Amino acid sequence: MQKSTLLFLLVLLSAAAYHLGRRRSLQIAGGTVRNLHSLPSYYGYFAALWCGFPALLVLFLWIAFENSIVIQLVLSSLPKELTSASADRLGLLINDIRNIASGAVTGEPDPAIKAAAKHYLSLKETSNRLLSLLAISIAITGAAYARQRISQEFRARNQVEKSVTIFLIGCSTLAIFTTIGIVLSVLFESIRFFKEVPITEFLFGLNWSPQMAIRQDQVGSSGAFGAVPLFLGTLLISAIAMVVAVPIGLLSAIYLSEYAGPKFRAAAKPLLEILAGIPTVVYGFFAALVVAPFVRDLGVRFGLDVSSESALAAGLVMGIMIIPFVSSLSDDFINAVPQSLRDGAYALGATQSETIRQVIIPAALPGIVGGVLLAISRAIGETMIVVMAAGLTANLTVNPLAAVTTVTTQIVTLLVGDQEFDSPKTLAAFALGLVLFLVTLALNVIALHVVRKYREQYE
Amino acid sequence: MKARERMPEASFNREYSQTVGEITSPNSRIVCRNVNVYYGDKHAIQDVSLDIGRNEVIALIGPSGCGKSTFIRCLNRMNDTIPGCRVTGKILLDGQDIYDGSLDVVPLRAQVGMVFQKPNPFPKSIFENVAYGPRIHGLVSSKAELEEVVETSLRRAGLWDEIKDYLHQPGTSLSGGQQQRLCIARAIAVNPEVILMDEPCSALDPIATAKIEQLIDELRSHYTIAIVTHSMQQAARVSQRTAYFHLGRLIEVGETAQIFTNPRHQLTEDYITGRFG
Amino acid sequence: MNEICEVSGQSSGRTIDVVHASLIRRRRAEKRFRLYGLVSIVLGLCFVAILFASIIARGYTAFQQTSIGLDVYFDPELIDPEGRRDPVTLMEGDYDRLLKNTLSSMFPDVKARQEKGALYRLLSSAASYDLRDQVLANPELIGKIVRVWVPADDDIDMFVKGQLPRTGAEGERRIKDLQVAWIDKLEAEGRIEKSFNTAFFTSGDSREPELAGIWGAVMGSLFTLLVTLSLSLPIGMAAAIYLEEFAPRNRWTDFIEVNINNLAAVPSIVFGLLGLAVFINFFGLPRSSPLVGGLVLSLMTLPVIIIAGRSALKAVPPSVREAALGVGASSMQTVFHHVLPLAVPGMMTGAIIGMARALGESAPLLMIGMVAFIVDIPRGVLEPATVLPVQIYLWADSPERAFVERTSAAIIVLLVFLIFMNGLAVYIRKRFERRW
Repeated sequence: MQKSTLLFLLVLLSAAAYHLGRRRSLQIAGGTVRNLHSLPSYYGYFAALWCGFPALLVLFLWIAFENSIVIQLVLSSLPKELTSASADRLGLLINDIRNIASGAVTGEPDPAIKAAAKHYLSLKETSNRLLSLLAISIAITGAAYARQRISQEFRARNQVEKSVTIFLIGCSTLAIFTTIGIVLSVLFESIRFFKEVPITEFLFGLNWSPQMAIRQDQVGSSGAFGAVPLFLGTLLISAIAMVVAVPIGLLSAIYLSEYAGPKFRAAAKPLLEILAGIPTVVYGFFAALVVAPFVRDLGVRFGLDVSSESALAAGLVMGIMIIPFVSSLSDDFINAVPQSLRDGAYALGATQSETIRQVIIPAALPGIVGGVLLAISRAIGETMIVVMAAGLTANLTVNPLAAVTTVTTQIVTLLVGDQEFDSPKTLAAFALGLVLFLVTLALNVIALHVVRKYREQYE
Repeated sequence: MKARERMPEASFNREYSQTVGEITSPNSRIVCRNVNVYYGDKHAIQDVSLDIGRNEVIALIGPSGCGKSTFIRCLNRMNDTIPGCRVTGKILLDGQDIYDGSLDVVPLRAQVGMVFQKPNPFPKSIFENVAYGPRIHGLVSSKAELEEVVETSLRRAGLWDEIKDYLHQPGTSLSGGQQQRLCIARAIAVNPEVILMDEPCSALDPIATAKIEQLIDELRSHYTIAIVTHSMQQAARVSQRTAYFHLGRLIEVGETAQIFTNPRHQLTEDYITGRFG
Repeated sequence: MNEICEVSGQSSGRTIDVVHASLIRRRRAEKRFRLYGLVSIVLGLCFVAILFASIIARGYTAFQQTSIGLDVYFDPELIDPEGRRDPVTLMEGDYDRLLKNTLSSMFPDVKARQEKGALYRLLSSAASYDLRDQVLANPELIGKIVRVWVPADDDIDMFVKGQLPRTGAEGERRIKDLQVAWIDKLEAEGRIEKSFNTAFFTSGDSREPELAGIWGAVMGSLFTLLVTLSLSLPIGMAAAIYLEEFAPRNRWTDFIEVNINNLAAVPSIVFGLLGLAVFINFFGLPRSSPLVGGLVLSLMTLPVIIIAGRSALKAVPPSVREAALGVGASSMQTVFHHVLPLAVPGMMTGAIIGMARALGESAPLLMIGMVAFIVDIPRGVLEPATVLPVQIYLWADSPERAFVERTSAAIIVLLVFLIFMNGLAVYIRKRFERRW
């Protein structure tokens, strides 16, 4: 039986169990709902849960482990000389077996492999049959157990609600598992990386050229993994972005919330927020195609030597992307400043701009600082713009007209394309990912803390 | 003196729309005639005419929502900050129409200061709070002069002795009563001529209230003060004249003693005797 | 102004004089500050305008494709030598030769080998497939001379659309003088036509710009978003309900909350690393598949949906809950019968915005191999696929001039989808907006 068919069947069985449970409860109650502890439908849900949930759990566990077990069984049946090969060869072998099993054959395969493929197929068949049998019997047993438990005093509603609560709790903890998953996935690979490249060299080295030579005797065969040029490049581009985004974002938020009439505000605000909804790949294209040539031509006109992948162009476009982020956060914080403070300043005879600059901004400052920190974290983590518009070579410079590369750009270039997964080159991407995650995490935690404290102040 | 003509002879008047009592003041500083205020469609103040005299404390009393706060906010155009608010009629400060299109609100508010219901110190130090007004208006030319102004203002507000050692603590760290006196000090540091107070004691305990009332009495010699209050005792204690507002109208105005002992309008009497309020 | 000065000056002390003295300066500062704000907004709006203008100006031409009309003699010798109209034979006919013969007969002067090559390159390399499909669909054509419209090569397409120069040093031009003359001749004979570019919307990716289309990427995006939606919506709503309605206020829930807020700000590429390490390397799910893409994107959109869901639930006034609890409903019944229905529009708005963001996301998908060059149109969540933004990235990297136009056109399509989704979210919010 196909797994999708099995899934469908289990759903049908659960629906049947629902009706069974409902009918049974009504039967026990003699047709009068008042005699029951819970509404009949809760008895139905109870039965359906017992029928469907354990069977589905078995199904998913089976799917998760089926493949590796089957492969192990197939390999153990193969002759020794085939399986004693290295891990890479073994992977190829398994691939071959799978390909033959699925019918995609090129050329005449080794008879041993052919036999293995046959074995593989038959094992899969058996596994499927076993699974169907197991799942359906579990489902039926579950339904029968639930039916047997139904009685007049049985608190079906409490039981059902408890399971729903468990489901809700499970869903809400997913965020924690995601964080753990992120930490573990970057940490493990990073540790493997730091075994090959010392952490001090990675963090403080000034030379980054991850291209490993194919042959050992080639020049520069070891590759260099000093990430300082990447950090500096990231900071440079982020700084340019902030120089663009913070004043424009803040001033437009001030204008919109303090000066603009309701009509202008209603028109300009959503237009400005369009910038927040544009995918980053579009910004990247815009940076590479429009802004970078423009910046270069402008530089040429002033007799400056501007790289066609200048940090300035990438930073400028990143700044544009962040404007709405800064402006909507600042807008929130400015609006959170109580009217009484404005009144206090106006009543002293302060002009509007004096009130804004000397009372409202200082009052909103913690929030704005938090917002700017979040914006910096976003700039550091931004990928597509720099991948498309910043350079690939690691230059140790703070000249905005030169080409620099960033952490995210390097992660992408190191991991895109076909690579063996164990080389220091790919592992370096995870080490960079770890640094990126830790830095943005620190920025976010500080920013969220500052913002939270700020909100509490005026609540 | 058109308003005068509409006034009936000084007798018992139950006519709802007309103000009972002497609306004019012999030494008038602010003159209001037929002031109407609308919030969108809502007619919040209807045809109020009232004078406020030099160096007097006038108390505005009345049940909640009767428009007394709205009325004093008109006197330094604080209502400008409320969207959809419209004011008609004439309000003259020393003969100058404050709703004249060419008038700048900045000098007006420097002349007519205001203290609010809830103390609203700026999130700055105590010193900076008081120094803010003189600074923006350029009233002082040196640091020493500024320090002097701050000290005088805090002294006048009766706060100096309590906080002179904490001048650089944030203003928000003070207690409610101290904050309110800080706000008063902030207002008088600009050296205004009129001070408007919108229920300045409503958020304070009785001891702090007593201090503020004493302060108001002392300030009277320098300033003209209009105070909105919910407490009739307070009105009786601090004011020379009292005006009673009801549902956006000015019902009765007169000497404070007379209003509280011998109100001439039925509504005033009902309010004073606590039949509603 | 003077009058006021005098009037107030007479009546009062020196405060007012000092105030008036500095007033002009302060009013000027006021105006200046106001101007800064206005300039910032105008700058921001200018960026929006420039962005859209530059993309639309570059992209709109891609919705048209140049084709060349040829009077092709469907020579039975070349495509059906046995005359049996057998589809297998017809499949293998030399349609390329048909086109070359036609072109040679139209331009008999072209003799040199190199020039002939240039002549044949007027047509797209896919032109012969077009002929084949026509013959297969209608074998009656064999032996006849018929006017057939076949797609022009991308450079010719660009030239006809006026995006490649006619004049200037010949060595630096993509289109040489000879080709210009041919095109002029064809144009004079009415054999060059621009028509709606259906291939762009119906085909998958290709190395040839004139054949490349977005349909494969659109389907990839669709499958990816389906996976994302079916995972993140129920899980996100459940988490929001638990955290807002049932969770006790303690360290544990605080920790969950911090995690969610933090995940919302983690760079998207880090989610890509997670997907690569966990879903592909650990669980062995197929690379480049919409399933993995959808999993990664649902982890990314979950925080958005949870945060939006919680604020939607928060907006439901407590009186509703008290009323339901008051008639004896359990807290679960209260939430699912009374609170949730009122919060659903808000949650939907959040979900749509989350989906719109997922649709535009590309960085994490690069990590899990959705950047492969994939010609086939995916038919399921396990087949290799790419998505619209990644397709844009791939095309933006291609050197051919004609891909610039197509990239911009793909961006226009993507933006249309996004505008539609955001518009829908705004509509739902406005339609169901309720104030208590």
